[in-house]
Amino acid sequence: MGKERVLIANRGEIAIRIIQACRDLGLDYVVLYTKEDEFSLHVRIAQQEESGFKKAYRVANYKDPNEIFSVADESECTAIHPGYGFFSENYGFARRAAMRTRPLTFIGPKWDVIRDLGSKINTKRLAKDLKVPVIPGSDGSIYNELEAEGVAEDLFFLQKEQGIHHPSILVKASAGGGGMGIEEVSHLDAFRRTYRRIQNYAKRQFGDEGVLIEQCLRDYQHLEVQLLCSSHGEVVHFGTRNCTIQSAGRQKRVEVAPGFDPAVCEYPFDARAVLDRIVKYSVRLAKHAGYDNIGTWEWIVSRDGSPYLMEVNTRIQVENEISACISRLNKSNEPPNLIRDQIRVALGDRLGFTQKDISFKGTSIEMRIVAEDTKRGFAPWCGTITRFDYPDEPWARLYSHVPRDTPYKIPTEYDPNFALAIIWGRDTEQAKERARQFRNRTIIEGKGAKDESIITNLEYLNDRIDDVLQF
Amino acid sequence: MDINLNDLLRRYRSHPFEDYPVVTPHTGVVFLKVKEGQTVKGPGGEWLHRPGTLLYVIERERNVKRMTALWSGQVSGIRLDIEGQFVEAGELLFSIRHQLDKEEIIDRILTQVLYILPAPQRARYFLAPEISAKLEQKPKEGVSVESGDDVLIMSLMKRDTVISYEGVPGALYKVCFKSGDTVEQGSPLLGICSPDKLRYVQKVIQRIRTEWEK
Repeated sequence: MGKERVLIANRGEIAIRIIQACRDLGLDYVVLYTKEDEFSLHVRIAQQEESGFKKAYRVANYKDPNEIFSVADESECTAIHPGYGFFSENYGFARRAAMRTRPLTFIGPKWDVIRDLGSKINTKRLAKDLKVPVIPGSDGSIYNELEAEGVAEDLFFLQKEQGIHHPSILVKASAGGGGMGIEEVSHLDAFRRTYRRIQNYAKRQFGDEGVLIEQCLRDYQHLEVQLLCSSHGEVVHFGTRNCTIQSAGRQKRVEVAPGFDPAVCEYPFDARAVLDRIVKYSVRLAKHAGYDNIGTWEWIVSRDGSPYLMEVNTRIQVENEISACISRLNKSNEPPNLIRDQIRVALGDRLGFTQKDISFKGTSIEMRIVAEDTKRGFAPWCGTITRFDYPDEPWARLYSHVPRDTPYKIPTEYDPNFALAIIWGRDTEQAKERARQFRNRTIIEGKGAKDESIITNLEYLNDRIDDVLQF
Repeated sequence: MDINLNDLLRRYRSHPFEDYPVVTPHTGVVFLKVKEGQTVKGPGGEWLHRPGTLLYVIERERNVKRMTALWSGQVSGIRLDIEGQFVEAGELLFSIRHQLDKEEIIDRILTQVLYILPAPQRARYFLAPEISAKLEQKPKEGVSVESGDDVLIMSLMKRDTVISYEGVPGALYKVCFKSGDTVEQGSPLLGICSPDKLRYVQKVIQRIRTEWEK
């Protein structure tokens, strides 16, 4: 068989991380880009690398599967890496890749595993069968307003029965993800309006107007378990993460690994036992589903230490790097590269290590640098970045698609996230101190359409670093 | 704002053309069906239900798409080098030099007469559901809008923002975009006609209708 060639069906920093992983593994790669992303660094890297074939193709849309498969064939790719978002959790896409006349390896779980776990609804049903705790709410997508109102009424009633003084529910776009299309309703009278708004939003953004309704838990921490599995039945975990610090629209902004640190924070429960429980539950579900690639199990942990499974992200995660950063394989000093491992196992490799070979060292913090006004409901800022400088330190990495040598206009078609800063410290205090230092030495300049200065969330990140891991 | 209609008409008479680039909507293998200088026809029929001249065929993933002319005019700058080749999305194939007709001239001049609500950002725009429903019910009479009315939804960076109308109250005379289209910052979205301007606007339209073909 010839050399594998990977089509990177994504944009931004994840495309760059996948390029790097392909290079490390000695694989060829090809990138896609839209007109709006013409000046993104992922395109430039691909165009400037010398090779005997075309490495960057302009497509109409990252969300059109025909575009992706058409380029895959034209560029003679043998595999597709979907990154995160877009088609990464679309089982129909993964199935098409595997079953077409010219099959392609989908770098992710098998399509039927995505079908079973990629949907919040199926995951919830499966989790219930395995006695894994889940958040109370609807078991399936709701398309009917009266049915939705009935579920909402029941959830309000249940909360009142439990003595909750300010009950509320969440209305979520079933097909949504990454915190998009979620609104809270704190009174039944306001439900119908919110339901219609989310339904319309879901139809516009995802082409599916199905809605989920869940009890809104107020006082909680948002945790994740990072798993890596192979098609040979191997399952290992890379510990836990805490992603509680989120924007008003429930998008993560600061993440930290491990998920709790009882050495520096006090918890009203046995934090180590809770972490062990969510890892155990996640592994149980992964084994049952025949999970065979990288994935994240998302959890809510309430103040009394009760964990509830929210969903499974059947893909590489934005924040996977912090789990890698605190992990060591066979006592090596270098952290593993989970994207590299993801590609390897998708191409049929064995993991090459077991859980016993994985140890954990220190604390890692990720800060998502976003052009947004955190004081105005995290409203996205549009304009051009003219300067982007950050410190070069052995304990920090920065991933970004923003070029540092030319001005970069942020495309309005996508999220205004433009960089991920990954910090490592030997313990939580040092990681926090380094994160603050990194943030203070980062310089971002830019101008909007009316010549106003760029607005970013750097100040917000600084303010929130002290809050990590705290209940 | 009153305009110098004579000047505008003179300008349009001296150059009544617009060049429309024909670009590929997506990737695929292209087969051209027109020649340099060929005259093509846009959609026809009462409801524009008859497709225009076949311009090219694009094949992607075994799907063959026949691309027809959206404007009448003459083909220019045809790229013969791409015949039978795989092309990327947005590849320029040729242009169509289109001669503006009376209604199109009216349309363009109206954007200078009406109160225009411009796009605050380059984004995708949708009519607010209430406005959309009203327009479906009574498209010809126009829908009245006033300050504070939710008229549009701006979909920007995956977030939806409702845009409230701020301007002179009046009738929604013109919607300048297709729902879901990406509109450049500053480009017109809606054209509003205040009641005191209605007669003036109608006069302008009447004058163009009677004078354009003279």
